[in-house]
Amino acid sequence: MSTQAGEARWICGSPGLGEVADQIARPPLSRPPLGWWIALAGAGALTLAMVIGVTIVFFDGIGTMGNNSFVVWGFPIANYVWWIGIGNAGTLISSMLLLTHQQWRSSINRFAEAMTLFAVSIAGVFPIIHMGRPMYWYWLAPYPNVMSLWPQWRSALVWDFWAILSYLLFSIGFWYVGLIPDMAVMRDKARSWLGKRLFGLFALGWRGSIAQWRQQKSLQKLMAMFAIPLVCSVHSIVGLDFAASLNPGWAETIFPPYFVVGAMFSGFCIVIVLTAVIRGAMHLQDIITVEHFDAMGKICVAASLVMGVSYASEWFSGWYGGSPHDRVFLDFVFKGPYQPLYVAMLCLNVLLPQAMWSPKVRRNIGTMVILAVMINVGMWLERLLIIVETLGHTFLPSNWKLFFPTLIDGAILFGSLGFFAFLFLLLSRVAPLVAIHETEELVARARGL
Amino acid sequence: MSSRIVIERRWASSPSASPDRGLDRREALALLASGAALALSACSPPREAILPYVETDDVLAVGRLRRFATTVSLGGYGRGVIGRTVDGRPIKLEGSPNHPMSLGSTDVFAEAAILDLYDPNRAKVIEGPNGPTDWTTLSAALRARLAGHESDGGQGFWLVTGRITGPTRLRLIRQAQAKLPAMRWIRYESVHDDNALAGSQLAYGRPLDLAPRFAEADVIVSLGADPLGPGPRQIADARAIMSRRLGSPMSRIYVAESSPSVTGAAADHRLTADPALLRDLLIYLAAGLGAPGFSARLQGSEAQFAQAALADLQAAKGRALVLVGRDASPPAHALAAWINGRLGAPIDAMAPVDPNPEAHGQAFQALMAALGAGQVRTLVVVDANPVYDAPDAKAAANAIGRVPFSLAMTPSLDETSAACHWRAPLAHALESWSDVRGADGAASLVQPLVRPLYDGRPAESLLAVLAGEDDTAPIDLVKSTWGSAAIAAAGQGTSEDGLRIASAQANAGSAGAPQAWWDKSLASGVIPSAPGQAPAAAPVARLVAPAPSPQDGFVLQLRPSPSLWDGRRADNAWLQECPDPLSKEVWGSSLWISAGDAATLGASDGDFVFVGANRRIVKAPVRIMEGQARGVVTLCIGGGRTQAGPIGTNVGVSASPLRGEALAWSASGVRLRKAGGKASFLVTQANYRLSGETEELLPTLTLADLARGERAPSAAEPPSELPRQEPSQYAWAMTIDTQACIGCNACVIACQAENNIPIVGPDDIAMGRTLHWIRIDRYDPGPKGDPHTGFVPIPCMQCEHAPCEPVCPVEASVHDHMGLNDQVYNRCVGTRFCESNCPYKVRRFNFRDYASGRLYGGLDVSGLAAQRNPDVTVRARGVMEKCNYCVQRIAAAKAQEARTGRPIADREVVTACQSACPTRAISFGDLKTAGSQVARTKSDPRHYVLQGDLGTRPRTTYLSRLRNPNPALGWPRAEEDA
Repeated sequence: MSTQAGEARWICGSPGLGEVADQIARPPLSRPPLGWWIALAGAGALTLAMVIGVTIVFFDGIGTMGNNSFVVWGFPIANYVWWIGIGNAGTLISSMLLLTHQQWRSSINRFAEAMTLFAVSIAGVFPIIHMGRPMYWYWLAPYPNVMSLWPQWRSALVWDFWAILSYLLFSIGFWYVGLIPDMAVMRDKARSWLGKRLFGLFALGWRGSIAQWRQQKSLQKLMAMFAIPLVCSVHSIVGLDFAASLNPGWAETIFPPYFVVGAMFSGFCIVIVLTAVIRGAMHLQDIITVEHFDAMGKICVAASLVMGVSYASEWFSGWYGGSPHDRVFLDFVFKGPYQPLYVAMLCLNVLLPQAMWSPKVRRNIGTMVILAVMINVGMWLERLLIIVETLGHTFLPSNWKLFFPTLIDGAILFGSLGFFAFLFLLLSRVAPLVAIHETEELVARARGL
Repeated sequence: MSSRIVIERRWASSPSASPDRGLDRREALALLASGAALALSACSPPREAILPYVETDDVLAVGRLRRFATTVSLGGYGRGVIGRTVDGRPIKLEGSPNHPMSLGSTDVFAEAAILDLYDPNRAKVIEGPNGPTDWTTLSAALRARLAGHESDGGQGFWLVTGRITGPTRLRLIRQAQAKLPAMRWIRYESVHDDNALAGSQLAYGRPLDLAPRFAEADVIVSLGADPLGPGPRQIADARAIMSRRLGSPMSRIYVAESSPSVTGAAADHRLTADPALLRDLLIYLAAGLGAPGFSARLQGSEAQFAQAALADLQAAKGRALVLVGRDASPPAHALAAWINGRLGAPIDAMAPVDPNPEAHGQAFQALMAALGAGQVRTLVVVDANPVYDAPDAKAAANAIGRVPFSLAMTPSLDETSAACHWRAPLAHALESWSDVRGADGAASLVQPLVRPLYDGRPAESLLAVLAGEDDTAPIDLVKSTWGSAAIAAAGQGTSEDGLRIASAQANAGSAGAPQAWWDKSLASGVIPSAPGQAPAAAPVARLVAPAPSPQDGFVLQLRPSPSLWDGRRADNAWLQECPDPLSKEVWGSSLWISAGDAATLGASDGDFVFVGANRRIVKAPVRIMEGQARGVVTLCIGGGRTQAGPIGTNVGVSASPLRGEALAWSASGVRLRKAGGKASFLVTQANYRLSGETEELLPTLTLADLARGERAPSAAEPPSELPRQEPSQYAWAMTIDTQACIGCNACVIACQAENNIPIVGPDDIAMGRTLHWIRIDRYDPGPKGDPHTGFVPIPCMQCEHAPCEPVCPVEASVHDHMGLNDQVYNRCVGTRFCESNCPYKVRRFNFRDYASGRLYGGLDVSGLAAQRNPDVTVRARGVMEKCNYCVQRIAAAKAQEARTGRPIADREVVTACQSACPTRAISFGDLKTAGSQVARTKSDPRHYVLQGDLGTRPRTTYLSRLRNPNPALGWPRAEEDA
């Protein structure tokens, strides 16, 4: 297969070079259509629900959530782990595919990275609202203070604090480095005075010289190399929040890699959904093809198999380790009141994705979106069950308690989804959601230019 | 002086005399402040002697804790307490070591009495028919009413009180009766022992209080009795019983009961038996001891149980006891008295401490009848709640409304006072001058620790108006009771109204109640060396045969609530949130039923059923209890108050309609029918069963095991590379004896009072939240049907390798040099990682602003705040809190040590839970002091560590349960169960 044919796989039809750039650059430069306003109103309503929920939590305390004296963590931490998992995938996809020279990356990397930014930001909110005294969140930072008090470095939560912070800052940098040439394109296309000035500011004087391109490409590659260990560290540390404890069901060495794969899994599925939405809404059928879905489907199948192995390893080590607590816990997982949720989680995360073995399924955007949504429901259930099963069934039988969420829990969870969509809708009006220069490069190569 | 201590301690606690780093800002400031203070104190004092203000006024020494002896009552019987006061505020009650009915310990009711004092729901002002008024108006109205009755000698004048044992109150009532001979005095308690007294009447021809001397009993056979359960004798009886369950020779306890009780939990052998079987067992024992014409047919395990018990009884004559329950019929009580007579049982028989001869049930029936017939023209109610206790509360309230003059003196607005024309607040015991007798007859004084917070007066003030002594202050009423007249009569032993003041005279030396005698009595709280009621001459019981009980429908068994007693103080939030020892229910109660009966009914936990008894129907949620007999349902009285303020109103189910006007303890022919709906169960613990490996949580050894040299199983501590933390001067540790724990919750409420622990309310309990720093886990390690229920009190374990510490991101959970695992409240940001990682789940989180802001029931915090211990931080919303071994008491002892230079002695620091425990199950002290009480327990063969396999190295450890089974019956093991 020639290089040309390889690249042509990812292009449908024969769009002109300028056409692609125009199509991508149009939304930020034109007036939003009605559909956008409707979507924004829907997302805005959910965002409002989240804002109201968070406000109530701030004013009335976390007693308004379902957490109890034994299951001290509930929805907020589950949401946090889920969102940060989604956040992981964007950077992981972008950098891994960049380093492995997967050209189809060009069509999806920009919004996947944006997804990371938004998801990590939303994820970062949850640890703060779950705190009893959120106004003191900054005590986790080693800031100079008159009491000479420092954070407790042995706590996984402090590692978490640094992991999220460094990951967020890095992701912004990585995203922005890729965005610079596109900002120059937008600057050149913008008609309004303000648009020219703002895009010009962010384009950092990009002229498209060979030297600039060389520097931008090498910086991007360098950052991609940093990104992969960083991505792994972030979700490993999230895994350590649980694994570095002594609770049955948590104290397992498999947690860090298992969390990283789980993060990639759920993140890829959100990318599938976003790809489908953006493809349809921005009419990018030319540069986002079923081939993209096909490729992402293969990765999802692989990830679901790793998840299956991880679950099996949890059961095996729980049983084989011989600790009575672990065995009692395992018994609870399979026979306890959470059994339906656990079975649903296994079906959604392991069984259902096996449908993606079939090319028919992978190449049907509708089924892929449905599967992706289902998998994310499954992944969220996994995060919730990790928390409520272990904390609800620890060493002393007297402490066994079930968890019941409240309305506030639900409002914040669904509100955060709306907020994510809200942010994406806004972004679509200020920056190109797909990398212009990289897709143009792909189109050019596909045409053998 | 103090600055020098500060500086010395500062450097002494540093690792080296000169720190190897520069001074940090805090140290520099500390030195600057200390230097400035030293410079000031270096100024020479004036030559003349001057007196600092704070030391002149001894009583009001600022911030200093002072202790006063006084007495609080339960069901009219006194239990001596020591009130701890700071700046004139009583903040905590502890048991008085001098009082024979408290022996230095408390129960939940004595601990919670302090909250009643500050209860925002208390009645505050006197109210008349025309609105708020004052005492002068009230007493004038009452005097006018009395004058009106002079012509008819008091006909239609009804005085209703609870049980009265106080000599002063009795004297005043006698005087009133002398003035108005036709006045009717109704004395009744909802929790009464009518059947026992009627039984002794049958057996001996006169009513007698029968008080077993448990410390002398080698064998105790209880057929439905609950001597370890709540009651005015609980502390003394539990202490006596447990003294023989720990020491040697160890007693053996057989319990047969229809419904699980804490006594059954402490037994060596427990048999689930319905009332008919209980009667058969009693007859079997009587027949075995030679009762002519008695015989009972028993089969299987019941026969084995009865044979073993009979053999043990016969072998331990003179040291064996048979007890029957409150609900047993009078002939059963009489037969038990006959059996005890045959056994020569160690029982004190004495003239009833409560001198009113009328049975409570009869008295209440008479009151209801008179009210219904409109014969009552003047009604005065003092600390009783007949409307609530009446089977038909509405009719009773209406009847009271029709009484021309009605007055209720109650601590807070209740069903009865709401129906009366006049309402007067009854002063709390801590605001009153009075006197009262314990259940054993020991007299003690009630002295006020604080002036009445509101317009309340003691019952004496009202009775004095009736007695025509209304100009006398309550203190003088009490003094004159114990004064010259009484002393003059002292020579005759028992005076007319049951006064026993022989020794009072001996101590008084001269006529009157001389100041020295009075001061001494006040200081110790107990009338010095006044003995209890003298044992009556050993009576011989007549042989009475109990009649068979009707075998139709269910038997309803009623019992006093372990947290609310008779419901009188249902507005006490601590008590509402105090879990039932067995069902762990809070904020309400349910109808206990056996699993088999529930299956027949088609009801599961929480389903509402209609209970029909005494021609009335009550709707109650059921709860399936292991160890409940088939055909018997059990309900606690004291719930379902309709006028008990924001805390107590409509909590639980009232049993009054089912009891009837005779205030019966059981009803037969009871019908159950499933009603629709399900109640949400408010329990603090949902899982009891232990099996397999978890049995190590509550190990049990038998005496035979101990003799073989067996030890309680303790998992090996895993190897660790962490350095062992060496405590500096003291290493505080606690050992809890699960053998001695009777699950009574006194420690839970004591901790709540000492450590400013607020309640969370039923809504948060329903969400699974609690704040109690010490909880009592109940476990059933035995085979199904024979649960062997036991209790494990769980305070913080103060782990040496505490899992909560390394996970806190802000170091709010820290280890101190004495081995305490401290929580720094103002550093806590509330991530709850510590509780998540605590294997014992002893940390408690303030999910809401429980301590201030929004109190449950919308109560005003300002009054309640006065109860708070000034040495303990009140925690804010969003912070974690936990047991810290009463670190404020340790700190006080260390401050004392710093002042005197004398090291803290063993048993000098007593934690609140330890001080409350009636059975002395908790040992606390310094591990490094060789031979300290707590250090000795660590080498006991019964010693075990909770979850020792986790390597947490807890400082709180346990002693296993010990059982003394009859070899003929054996002690079932888990393996046999499988």
